[in-house]
Amino acid sequence: MSAFFGPMDAEGRVPARQQTRVASFLVSAHGALGRRFALALPPRLESAWQAELNAQFYNESEIVSLLLRSTSWTPDLALAYLAATWETAWFPSPAEGIPDPTLALAVDLATLAHAVHAGIRPAALLPLEANANDPFAMALRRVEFESGRLLQAQIMFLKGESLMPFRDAVSTTLERRHAEVRKLWREMLESIGISRSENDAKP
Amino acid sequence: MPFLSHGSYRIRYELDGPAGAPAYVLVNGLTQYAELWIAYRDALVARRFRVATFDLLGQGESDKPALFISQDDQVAALHLLIQELGSGPVFLSGISFGGLIALRYAIAHGERLAGLVPMSCFAELPPQLFLLGNALRAGLILGGTSYLQDLLLPMNVSDQWLAPVLDKLDSVKRQGWLVNDVYALQNLMESFLDFQPLTSQLPSIGVPTMILNGEFDFLTPRALHETLRVQIPDSTLVIVPRAYHAFTLEKPALTADLLARFADDVLAGRWQGKKAVWIAPEEAGGELMPFPAGYDHLRAIPVQGTTA
Repeated sequence: MSAFFGPMDAEGRVPARQQTRVASFLVSAHGALGRRFALALPPRLESAWQAELNAQFYNESEIVSLLLRSTSWTPDLALAYLAATWETAWFPSPAEGIPDPTLALAVDLATLAHAVHAGIRPAALLPLEANANDPFAMALRRVEFESGRLLQAQIMFLKGESLMPFRDAVSTTLERRHAEVRKLWREMLESIGISRSENDAKP
Repeated sequence: MPFLSHGSYRIRYELDGPAGAPAYVLVNGLTQYAELWIAYRDALVARRFRVATFDLLGQGESDKPALFISQDDQVAALHLLIQELGSGPVFLSGISFGGLIALRYAIAHGERLAGLVPMSCFAELPPQLFLLGNALRAGLILGGTSYLQDLLLPMNVSDQWLAPVLDKLDSVKRQGWLVNDVYALQNLMESFLDFQPLTSQLPSIGVPTMILNGEFDFLTPRALHETLRVQIPDSTLVIVPRAYHAFTLEKPALTADLLARFADDVLAGRWQGKKAVWIAPEEAGGELMPFPAGYDHLRAIPVQGTTA
């Protein structure tokens, strides 16, 4: 197993099978976030923070669109099972220890988004020899870069004063979400011959 | 790859050199990782030291807490590592953020140390450093780890170091970019949001202390090291010529030599801190010279000194 994509083809492109599976995972995760942001978005914005929600929704949509168009797709029968597993993992699961159900759901969404935006680094899978002008490589770099920026909304919310009374519950929920997302990401990568660090191997 | 456990978190560490020998523990700066000390490990092991390196919580192969990393947790992790070293003499050194963690450790557990070497370090956040820290954090948020590296590199190393690698900076930055995650670096930086100055606690550090400061360090300039020199009773300030903030990367042979000589002096009973100010040699093995009497070591021009 390698820590990176490969072997690359003569033009420095990621093998289509690896592209397909990684892009499928990312489309599933960012698509789920996009759907949940869309459901949380009111038709008319009434608070400043809802402007950020709007931005998150469109950025997630952009990530999905970018991956759909930049990936060299190839048939992958295992995706039917894998996608079902992934989609199940993104289901809402209100944070425990927060009595207000609306807030508990918001924390769940923010922790899932934090885990996806912070814990998934697709550009770090690109080896040195990856072709910088390949659209898939460019897409992964953009997904990782945009994730770092989208993450800021989750950090501000989860570290914010409104959640100070629930700091332990928030931390527990977030660590759980990180572990879930990391496990799925690691398993998916291992299925295409990629093994990440000891840190990622933590259950 | 061994790990220590701190609560639910794991801390990756490495021990090299003869068991039972005097030990050096080296603490990373903010964007660093344990492998950056390899030259020090080799040099210090060759001089019969045991060397402990590790990744702080939030760095490299250690666990990266998702939302909060407190500096107290870093000190606790360091304490666990030092407990692994047995009862022999332990010298503790850290650079920048790692120097701050080393200072905190020395304040809390100074009795366990034989010597302390804070490098490019600070005990308080005056306005310039506070604003620089905020700007670096904003750079990380807006541009990611790579942009933070872009900001730090020209500030922290010299033209002489940068010139030969200018056309391959991406590869220079790559390992740091690979092992560091934006959220974890941000958590490390935000561990300063409730920072309280350590200055009033520095006099409690009773161990021999050699403070290393690059001549041209403008991220943590001389005045910040002067606070350490004045407040730590058995200290000496050593100015590293032509060095910037990250001189441990740029001058490993010289710095490892200074570390080894300091420890040798302490172990042989030769060390005398006296809050003196010295100038390090340009190369490893050279002689240290006292800062010229009568001149102010806080100035960049030869002005008659007013400080003791």
